[in-house]
Order: sequence, then structure tokens, then C-alpha cells
Amino acid sequence: MSPSPISIPPSSPIADDTTDDNVLQPFFVLHKALPQKCQRKAAGSTRTRRKIDLPHSSPKSPEKSDAVASSVGPNDANHERLRLEAFNMTWSKIDTTIKEVLTRIHRNLFAEVHQWALESFLALKSGKPRHALEIQSPYPLLDNVICRQIPTAMILTKNAEFVDDMLTFQELGEHLKYKGCHIANLLSMDFCAKDGIAGCLRSLLRQLVVDAPDTADMSVLSSWYCEPENYDHPVIIVIDDMERCSGAILADFIRLLSEWVNKLPVIFIMGVATTDTAKKLLPSDALQHLQASKFTLGSPLERMNALVEAVLVKPSFGFNIGHNVAVFMRNYFLGHDGTVISFVRALKLACVKHFSMEPLSFLGIDVCDENEVFLHGKCDALPDTLLKYAFNLPSCKRGKDCKNSRDDLGEGLSDLRKLLKAWSSVILCLCEVGKNNKIQLLDIFCEATDPALSSLDPSNHKLERLFNGQNLAEGRLDFKGGLIGQLVHTVRELPLSSLIELLDLWSIHTEELYEVHGEVRELQSVVKSSNSGNNLKERQIDCHKMSMSLCAGRTSLSVNGKAAALLDNMVRKFLMPIECLCFHEIICFRNVDILQSALIGNPRRNIQVDLMKSTTYIKCSCCSSNENVLSPTMHDTSVMYNLAQEHGDLINLQDWYQSFKSTVLSTNKLKSPLQHSPMSKKVKSSPSESEASIQARFCRAVIELQIAGLIRMPSKRRPDFVQRVAFGL
Amino acid sequence: MAGDEGTPQTPARRVTRSSSATPLKPSLVSPNLLSPPTHAPPLESLSTEPMSADDLLALLPSRKSQILEFLRVIGPLNSPMLPALLYGGPSTGKTITILHVFRFLRRRFVYASCRSCYSPRILFETVLNQLLCHRRTRENGYSSAKRCERASDFVNLLRDALIRPKTAPGDEKKTFCSKEGHGDGIGEMIYLVFDNVELIRSWDKGSEVLPLLFRMADVLKTPAVGLIYISRAMPDAYYSMTGSVEPISIYFPDYTVDDLHNIFMRNQVNQKLYSSFLSIVLKPYSRVTKRVDELATVFDPLFKKYCEPLADLSLVPDEAMKRKLFDHLQPHLTASLNEIFTVTPWSLVEVAKERTPKRGHVRKLCGKEVFSELDIHMSTSAKYLLISAFLASRNPATLDAALFDSTGGSNNRKRKRKSTQTSLDQQDDMAEEILMKGPGTFPLERLLAIFQCITSVMDCSVEEEQFEDGVLAEGSNVWLMSDALLQLSTLCNANFICKSGNFQLEGSTRYRSMIDEDMALKVARSINFPLSKYLYRR
Repeated sequence: MSPSPISIPPSSPIADDTTDDNVLQPFFVLHKALPQKCQRKAAGSTRTRRKIDLPHSSPKSPEKSDAVASSVGPNDANHERLRLEAFNMTWSKIDTTIKEVLTRIHRNLFAEVHQWALESFLALKSGKPRHALEIQSPYPLLDNVICRQIPTAMILTKNAEFVDDMLTFQELGEHLKYKGCHIANLLSMDFCAKDGIAGCLRSLLRQLVVDAPDTADMSVLSSWYCEPENYDHPVIIVIDDMERCSGAILADFIRLLSEWVNKLPVIFIMGVATTDTAKKLLPSDALQHLQASKFTLGSPLERMNALVEAVLVKPSFGFNIGHNVAVFMRNYFLGHDGTVISFVRALKLACVKHFSMEPLSFLGIDVCDENEVFLHGKCDALPDTLLKYAFNLPSCKRGKDCKNSRDDLGEGLSDLRKLLKAWSSVILCLCEVGKNNKIQLLDIFCEATDPALSSLDPSNHKLERLFNGQNLAEGRLDFKGGLIGQLVHTVRELPLSSLIELLDLWSIHTEELYEVHGEVRELQSVVKSSNSGNNLKERQIDCHKMSMSLCAGRTSLSVNGKAAALLDNMVRKFLMPIECLCFHEIICFRNVDILQSALIGNPRRNIQVDLMKSTTYIKCSCCSSNENVLSPTMHDTSVMYNLAQEHGDLINLQDWYQSFKSTVLSTNKLKSPLQHSPMSKKVKSSPSESEASIQARFCRAVIELQIAGLIRMPSKRRPDFVQRVAFGL
Repeated sequence: MAGDEGTPQTPARRVTRSSSATPLKPSLVSPNLLSPPTHAPPLESLSTEPMSADDLLALLPSRKSQILEFLRVIGPLNSPMLPALLYGGPSTGKTITILHVFRFLRRRFVYASCRSCYSPRILFETVLNQLLCHRRTRENGYSSAKRCERASDFVNLLRDALIRPKTAPGDEKKTFCSKEGHGDGIGEMIYLVFDNVELIRSWDKGSEVLPLLFRMADVLKTPAVGLIYISRAMPDAYYSMTGSVEPISIYFPDYTVDDLHNIFMRNQVNQKLYSSFLSIVLKPYSRVTKRVDELATVFDPLFKKYCEPLADLSLVPDEAMKRKLFDHLQPHLTASLNEIFTVTPWSLVEVAKERTPKRGHVRKLCGKEVFSELDIHMSTSAKYLLISAFLASRNPATLDAALFDSTGGSNNRKRKRKSTQTSLDQQDDMAEEILMKGPGTFPLERLLAIFQCITSVMDCSVEEEQFEDGVLAEGSNVWLMSDALLQLSTLCNANFICKSGNFQLEGSTRYRSMIDEDMALKVARSINFPLSKYLYRR
């Protein structure tokens, strides 16, 4: 396998050295180890336009942050353990919250589907119970139904990516099972053309019948259904991603089941992206056996909003994300796959990174605890180095009033908590407005975390804000463009009825924000009185804005204005982005680069880089001397890829082979200059490296490059050229 | 039920057996063809109550000649029969006729549908189970009576099973069905009915099983077996491969409009009302299809719609009422004529969801809401990919260079104007041809090239707009490109794009966009992409 004659396993100390900064050592065993560390250098000049120039050293942000962490705190095992514990606690809390939120979203749909299944089951039975003999009879029953239809719930997943929904369908299945239905979850893999219809039937039987025989015969299922404990419950078949099934097999399956549906109450639940799917996938004679009803899952955006509200807006976890990270995660969600799962994964990664990098992060869990005793206790227990670190945090340096004592830290943190609470109340109020305007909470959240929102020094921002508030009383708005300004504007134009609803919601959200709560109450009473005055008229008119303003006149306008002013006031007073608060670093994750590199790996780039500078990983003695020169002991594929850099889009196989051969043969020249004369090596290759073996190595390297997706095999048109597929990094 | 009748009847059986040992010859004329058996023991579920010949004919409208023919073929009690093949289009009443006839005659038969029994083994075992009266239960592990995978085994086991009741008449284990053989009026003929025989042709071992089935009569050499095949395919489809004696074929023609009328009128509560309904719908729909099952699925919801204005479903409509009902139905009629498959919202919530967009549209005129929204969530790059795929499928590849030049297709109109009339005509022809062919296929490279073009063009314009907003000024191109292949597989999974060709490393996989222009436009609108600019039209 190895081209190089030296395949001695490396000495262990080197292995230890390398594992520290790099875990990847794919070709480690192939080369002789070199005790000295090798310098990293760029790979050669740019002779061809397709040549890749490697950066001199890849930026290593984790290292930097590690350095910060290690320089700042005494990273003793105790605090590391504390951070780990804190992470486990925080994440388990977040995780359960996420699960609760998702179940809550689907609860209604599940109940609805269950209701539908029961009704369909009753319709299938059509009143008369079937005798066991009837059910087991091999021939169709003679009833007067001309076309037997299988009740089918088409559940629209509203998402092209189905990853999120797999879990949902599993839960739906469990819900229905709990309600007493027989459930079989069939995967799209069961409907593949290779296995034919036997595959899906076998899977169906295996899930329902405990000791199913190896033949997947429908009569087994009918006999099983006749057992007293199975009898008289609907058999629900859940297919979560119908799009991916093979249409022909699924159609066969449906036709087969339609022969049995009046004996066996079979009900389908299918997850589809669009209602057209079935039409595209199935032929009409299978379609006519489906009696389809439509259900809709919550859209990913709805789920996302609920998640953001529960996890990020409500300050109960001691972990939050900064603006950059929020924007990144929003774009990751919208631009990439739009699945909640990937969002949650991103969140988890952020959480992991935060707790591993931030020395004080273990304080986070107590920040959100109402009981301040713990917090102060923990602050008191901090060693001086950490304390110093805390007061050296940039956010704290910006603030003026710290005497660098332990109490201050505790105070600062509990202030942080209060401010966050106020902040979240305001966000929730804004979100309620946004619901009227179809503005997503995710967007509001992103804007609200933007530190540019208050570009002022935190020390005097309150004053400034107060001043702005005065401006506002005169009706001026100085948020321009942004979503929040838009929302405030929306409040001005809300019809009275929606305003009343809105104020009710506000009063719930601001319950803990005493100052605002009073004002909301006040406004509520004003609105209610004005509403009762206009009640009669109001009933006659539709809530259209124009007619509203005509009939309700000045009162409602002024009420709207007041509400808008109130909202604006709240925003100015309390909507301080988290990154402007003291000690926010302790609970707020802001390092977007780390998250990005962790989430969006760039495999193709990495493959190319690794191939180009394999020596930096392998650190062998033979190739380290001069990186620009291809050493014959390098791995074949690496040699080939380096050689390919000299070519353009197309690589002539002959040339490539010749250069490969000369590279490889130069080994022998170097290795054994004494044994062979320089003349003879050109004419005749050494016995160990025959022409055939070089060709074989060449072929294998080409195949490996092809598998890595870097080149394409010769086409019919150009039989002696391979085409390069990947250019640049 | 009548298990104790088994033993005493043995002599009678012997007699009948000897009589049936006469040379195989169908009795073409039977004296009392349509007289029902005088007394019959229960015969599974088919034996509810004795029925008269008129009942039988009334049950199956316009199948009289086929029924009579089949009765003639099957002959009187205990007379051997030649194999029979009943064929005709789908849903022409073949299976139900057979079942009703056997119910009328009260004779033993074994039924195996080759759809449910989708493999030789299951087919064989189903037949044997019924012959041996084996029932799958939990106690026997839901196993079948005999394990039988090979055709030769099947023949042997079948022969055994057919002879067994004769050799061991007192076997109590077999009471359930052997009693029928002893019952008077049942006769000892056993009829094997194979339904959907045409499906066997597509089985793996279809070419072995099919000749076996058709040669069964020769192979078994037992006169006490009647073989009946039901098929959608013409008899010609089978003869070539059997080389055995031709079964007597009975053709079931498609129903005529009058037949359809009779069939649909069979079980209606309010005959008058339904008849007036049929007078509206039957004509136009029967031009589309004459299949009863298809029509039935269409008529059910339509009839519900038809009856919607009626408070009392039992009332007999007069002319005015009929007119009113017709007017009510009219708009739904054309819609359902064009629709193959409808998915109806089930709950009230869903219905409300369906309706809200319309109201929202009116109300939200002030907002910048998109009027017809895409109802499926896709990531931005997936949307661009989908549009690229749509363009690649719609536009001829030769035009790519013109459409996606450095200016992003903005000056492509100028170019068109410059071209001569003849070349324009040629292009027209080509475009028409492309439209007739449907969406074209394209290689991955072309898709990615178009994708890169349109995203880079969109990027320039978007970045300018977004600069002031400060929302992610950093190039979104990076965002889009990073996992285009992943997105592509997502789209393939969702059936928006389909893959064809071989899946080897060669990369010769070709793709085809499956979405229609409506959907593409919606997607384009959701990302503000000027799709029409890039669509090649005549």
C-alpha cells in the first residue's frame, strides 16, 4: 500500500506531540518520524492559473482564545469541573425546554389527527362488526362498495427538508399508540425498488406482529388482527417522508392494502411536502384508493419563533448569545437548511464553546437564580485571579463604578439579571405587536441584540435615553428604518379591537416590570372606556382601519398614540442589548467565528489543503527538508495532486504519468545512489519499482483523487485527459 | 358447524367421484342451469342465504351473458370443467361475478389474488392453506400449513391436498372445510380461482409460475379440480408461454353508459334524486373514463355537493329544483373533471386556514405581503438551486451562454432583436419542441453553473440594497455556496428535482426539474428573483 519502502511505525513521543494541536494524522504510519518540528511553508509559486496558494499558516482562533483563558485564570481542575457541571445543567435545562416547546406546538395537530383516525375507523367499520372468519377469508368481501378507499392523512410538513419532521412523526405515532391504535412506522427505505413490495410488507408485519414468520403475507396480518386483543383497533401506517419512497412500490402497496381495507381497518398517515406530491408520485389507479385529508404541521418559522422565545428571550438559563451569533444563527437557519434541528445543534455548539472558553461561565447558572445567596456565595469563593479577570472584562472596564470587590461582582450580576428580565419583557411585548404584522420574533431578536441599537456608552445611556424619551413625547421617532421602529409604527395603526388584545398581552408580559405595568394598566382602562363608548358603532364596522379612524375619531388615535409612546418608552428604557451590559461576557456567547468553523466545515477545502501539505501532518524526516520539492516518499495521492497543480483544467494523463514516474523514481536515485549508476536508472527501473507497479500506483492515486471529488475520469471525447473538478480552495 | 355430517356421507362421495371420473369433457348444456341448489351447508362467509338466479342477475347488471356463459363452462354439480379464463379491462366486474356465482352455486372454491400473494411462495401457500383449511393463529406462530417455495413442491402438495379428503375422510382436524365436500349439493369439485393473473408476468419467477398455473389441469390430472383464471390481459398474453390446452375465455367488455347508469342506480336510497344527478354527470365523465371505480370515486363527493342545498335528502326533485341543483353543481363539475386527486382539509381549523389567505389578502393591502405565498419552507440557497434547476430544464442548453453572460442576461433582449427572422423561426421551433418534450435533463455542472450565475448577479443587487440596513453586508454568496450539494439532495428527496442515470463516480447523473412554472414563480417571488427575464420564451 505504501509507496515508500519505510513503513516503520512512528515513535510514540512524536505521536503525543502531534495530538496536541492536530488530531488528524491519516498517513501517519507511512513515514518515518522526524523529531524536530517542521516549519510550515507555502507550497510553491503560482505558475499556472489553477495553482492553489496556501496561506502561510491557518488562523487558529481557538488557540488564541485558549491562550486568553489560560493567561487569565488559574484553570485549575476545580473550576473546569464547575464549568462542565454548569454546562450539563444548563444544556439539560435548555434541552427539556426545547422538547416541551416542540410538543406543545404539535399537541393540537396530534389531537386532531387522532380524532380523524377515530372517525375514519368508524367509517371503515361502517357499523357492522366483521366476523373473524370474514376477516380471514382470502377473497374480497361482497359488499356494495365499488372502490375501496384507504383513509389517508396527508400531513403537510411545510419544509423541503424533512429532518425535523422525522421526530414529529415518531411522536405522533407514540401519541396514537398511547390512544390505542396499532402503529407501524414505515420508512422510505422500506419502499425501495430493490426489495419490491415484500420489503414494506415485511417491515409492516415485523412492527405489528410480535412473532411474525419470515413470509410477509397479508393473511398473517389478518389473522393477527383477529386475535381478541388486537381486534377493533385501527391499524395506522405512518410513512413520514412519502416523497422519498419509490412510487411504483408505494402504489403496489396501496393497491394491495385496498384489497384488504374492508377487512382490516388500515389508515395511512403520510408526510408530504406539498399536496402535489402524491399526484406526481403515484399512478391514478393507486391514487383512487386514497381518501385523502389534509393536515398541516407548524411551519419551521413558527417553531423557530417558539424556540427563540422559550430559550433565548426568557432569561432562565444563564446562557445567551450576542448579536453576531444571533445573526449568524438566523442566517444559518434561513440560508442553509431551515431545520430546527440544525438550529438546536448550533445553539448547543455555542453553549459548549461558551462554557469551555469563558472562565467565569459557571456563574451563569446562578445569575438567573432568584436566590441571590448562592450567587454571592459563589462570588465570594472566587480566587483573586478570577476576580481580577472579571473586572478586566471589556464590558466592566467600560462601566465606571467598580471598586473591584467581590460584592461588586455579585451586585453586577444580579443587576444583569434584572436588566435581562426587563429586556425580555420588552421583547415579548414587541413580539406580540410583530404577530399582527407577520414580523418574526427571530428578526426582532436579532435587531434587539444589536449593540449598535444603543451606540452610547453604557454609563450615560440612561440619561440619553431619558432625553430621547422626551423627544418621543412630542411624537418624534428617531429609530429609523429598523424593525422596532416599524413595530412602534404598527401600534399607531392598530384597530381598537386588536389594541385591546395587545394591551391584555402586554399586561401579562410586563407583570414583573412594575413601572411599565402600571402604565399598561392605565392605558388598558382608558382604552376600555373609550371602547365601551364606541361599542355600538364599532360593532357595525369591520375593523378596517379607515372606517375605524373615521368613526372612533380622536379617542382611538390618541389611545394608539399613547400605546406607541409607551412601547417606545419601554424600548428606550429597557431594551438594552445584552452586549452593552456589565459582565455580559459571563453569560453571553459572542464568538461567531468559532461557531461558524465548527458548524460549516469545509471538507473539500480541507482535503485539498491536506493533500497539498501532507508533510505538515506527517512530519517525516524524508520530506521535511524542502517542501517545494516533491519527495518520492510522499504519499502517491499527495504527489499526484501536487503535480496536478501544474496543469490547467485538463490534465494529460501521459504527462502526468511521466512526471509522477520521474518523481517516484527519483527516490531510488536518492536512496541508493551507490548501488545503481545514474545512467542505468533512466533506462531501466529498479527491480523493486517495476513499470507495472508504478502504473498501478498511478492508477490507484487517480482513483483516490476521483473519489475525493477532485478530478473526473477521461471522457469519450478526450480519452487521454482527466478533468480537474475542484479549483481553488 | 355441520362437522358430524362428514363420515356418513362417504358413500355418496364415492359415487360422485366415480361419476366424475368420466373423460374430461365440459357439459355444455346443463338442464337446470339457473336452479339454485336445494339445500346447502354453510360455506364460509359467502353462504348467507340462498339466492335465486334473478337475484344473481340483478346484482350484476349487464353481466348476464357472461354469467350464463360461465355457468355453462362450470357445468352442473360434480362435472369436470375445462379451465376458464375471464378477462377484461380493470373494474369490469370479473372478480365480483365469480364470487357471486360461487355464492349462488354454493360450491367449494379456493381464491388467491396474485396481488395479495405477490410472490410464488405466498401464492402456493395461500392455495394450500385454503385447501387444507389451515388457519394462521398465534398458537402456530402464524405459519402456513406447508412450507412450499418451489413449483414442483407445490404440485405435489397440491395433489396431496386434493386427494387427502378422499383418503382420510374422517380426519377431524379438517372438519372445517372437508365437511363441505361431504355436504350434499356442494359436490366434490374444488375450484381454484386465480385473480390478477397478469401480475405474475412481472414477478421474478413469473416465467416459471405462469406456465405452471396454466398447465395445472394437465399436471394434476385430477378431474375434480376446476381452474379459473381472472386476468386483465388478453388471453394471447398467456398462450405463447404455456403450450397447454387453451382455457375457455370469457370476455368482460367495458360497461356502456347505460350499464354504468344501472350500476350506479343499484343501491341508491333516493332513486329519483340520484338519477337526476347521474343525468348531469354521467355523460361528461363517461367520455373520460368508463371504469366504474374511477367514476365512483369522483361521483361520491360530487353527489354530496349536489345535495348540499337540499335540506331533506329523501325528497323527489322537480324540474325547478333540478335546475337549481345543477347550477349549484356546475362550477365544481369542471374543476373535478380536471382533477385526478383531491386532498380535502379535514378539520374546521384547516378549512379556516384555507380561507384566511383570501381575507388576509384584502386586508393586508397596505403591507408588503406577497399575495400568493410559497407554502413550503426552503432555505434561500435551496430556492436558488430550485430556480436554477427549473431554468436548466426549461431553457435549451445552447442558450445558457446568451442568458447568463457577464451582464446577467440584462441585454439578452437586444441580442434577440438583432437576430434574423429565419433564425428566430428556428428558435421558435426549437422552443416549441422543448415545451412538447417536457422538462429536459441536465448534468450537475450545468446546474451549478447557472446557480453560480444567478446567485452572483443577485448578490450584487442585494448587497447594494442591504448595505444601508447593515444586515449581513458580508457576502451571502459564501452562505449559498457552502453546501449546494446538500441542498440538492434535499430537493431531490422532496421530489422537486429528480435524478436519473447511473450513480457511479463518473458523474454522468442527470437531473430534471419536476416543478411547474407556477411553483417556480412563487419561489422566485419569495426571493425577488426576476425569473421571467431568464425564461426562454417564443
